[in-house]
Amino acid sequence: MQLRESSYSPSRYRALAVVAVLLQIALAPQISIAGGTVNFMLALAIVLSLTFEPHSAVFIGFFSGLFFDLTSSAPVGLMSLLLTVTSFGVSSAAHGALGGFTRESVRFAVIAIMAVNLLYGLCLFLMGVQTDLIWALFGHGIASTVLDALVAVLFLMASGSGSSQRGFSARTRPGRSTRYKVLK
Amino acid sequence: MIVFCVLSVLLLTFYIREGEAGPIHAVRSGVVTATSPVRYVGSVVASPFNALGNIFSNLTASQETLSDLKQQNAELTGQVAQLAEAKETAERLEGLLGLQSTYNLQSTAARIIGGSSDAWSQTVTIDKGSLDGFEIGMPVCNAYGVIGQITEVALSSSTVLLINDETSGVSAMVQSSRAQGMLRGQADGSLRLEYVSTDYDVQVGDIVITSGLGGVFPKGLPLGTVSSVERRDNDVYYDIVVRTSASTENNEEVLVITALSDDQRATDEDIAAANDIDSVQTSTGDGDSQESDQTGEDGSTDGQDSSDTTDESTEE
Repeated sequence: MQLRESSYSPSRYRALAVVAVLLQIALAPQISIAGGTVNFMLALAIVLSLTFEPHSAVFIGFFSGLFFDLTSSAPVGLMSLLLTVTSFGVSSAAHGALGGFTRESVRFAVIAIMAVNLLYGLCLFLMGVQTDLIWALFGHGIASTVLDALVAVLFLMASGSGSSQRGFSARTRPGRSTRYKVLK
Repeated sequence: MIVFCVLSVLLLTFYIREGEAGPIHAVRSGVVTATSPVRYVGSVVASPFNALGNIFSNLTASQETLSDLKQQNAELTGQVAQLAEAKETAERLEGLLGLQSTYNLQSTAARIIGGSSDAWSQTVTIDKGSLDGFEIGMPVCNAYGVIGQITEVALSSSTVLLINDETSGVSAMVQSSRAQGMLRGQADGSLRLEYVSTDYDVQVGDIVITSGLGGVFPKGLPLGTVSSVERRDNDVYYDIVVRTSASTENNEEVLVITALSDDQRATDEDIAAANDIDSVQTSTGDGDSQESDQTGEDGSTDGQDSSDTTDESTEE
């Protein structure tokens, strides 16, 4: 069940997913700043996990991670595993009630992105792909976290304003008075 | 969630255990092939912005780097006049011979269309693949020297693991002293020439070239120049940092070397010199690493590097 039915917009999320996929293929290999690269699929999975139920979030996380694995030179299966678990965790913690550009959503997204990047660096170190743990975690990991977080913020903004999506609202059409009367 | 987690672990396990021709690698090659047009468009779109990255790097350069650059600039200014004459000669020769004939390379030109999608590996993607006869293991160079080796091949694109990736290793030698060693990438993207005995004379500015051991890279291709040499007391080997002059900008042309001739392979003297280094290492109790680096597990001097243990390592 979608908790925020009033704000649920499948076409908007589909468009966001398509944009993320295209950016991951076309732009991610071109951007490298201070040892970090942008993982658009990570940002997409986290942002959508804030909105969707755990069942859907796991699905999104797995396929986002798998797409990243297949389009990069990283070991296939690692990012999909991390995003599956993280998307489930984020979705369960958010109860599908977050999303949109709010302080809580940004906080959730940044923490999740940092956790994934640090775990990813740690796993690569344990697998022998990386030989320097400090550099893997605090070099590539932190730099990538900053870039991913910026992308996640943009995705959150694109997915809609949080304040206008929350449950019900007492707003009325312009020019019409509110239905609620003050009790004296 | 459990199903997807198990599936991910299975994928990871099969990916690690299967060979380069395994089904997961094949699927990845298919995805890379299918996405190549989009990647190429991204490369074209992003190329004007590459200069921004250089500006960012320049802004964050330390004072030490700047002073070094000033000193280098002064030296280079003096050399400009000397080289001006040589330049004209070189241009004539280049026009006649070209890079391929200079090194007598059997090679195919390709173009870089993208970098690494993840921050933890140093790779580039080129716009040609198995349809053009490319195979895993083929060395890749540009006009300045070696940049890496093909590690994955799709139909119309290939992934090149750069020499500054920390899983890369290239059998190399110092051009002036012929001191042999192993050029390895580091986590921070720099290059270090390892296992060079302190018996040899190595100076800052010396040119480092491929030694040809292993039969993968042609002998004599430039890899970079020595930027620092340290020798600690009681150390058997130098601590040498190498600066590569080969850049990997987008849309840059590269040459994929498709075959080697006999004169591009290491000579018996080179192999004997490598064996001498091995014997020094063995006597100092540090020979295992170098032995596997330069003589291979079977004891033959084939320069086989860590590619025996990981499928993403470069050459020798």
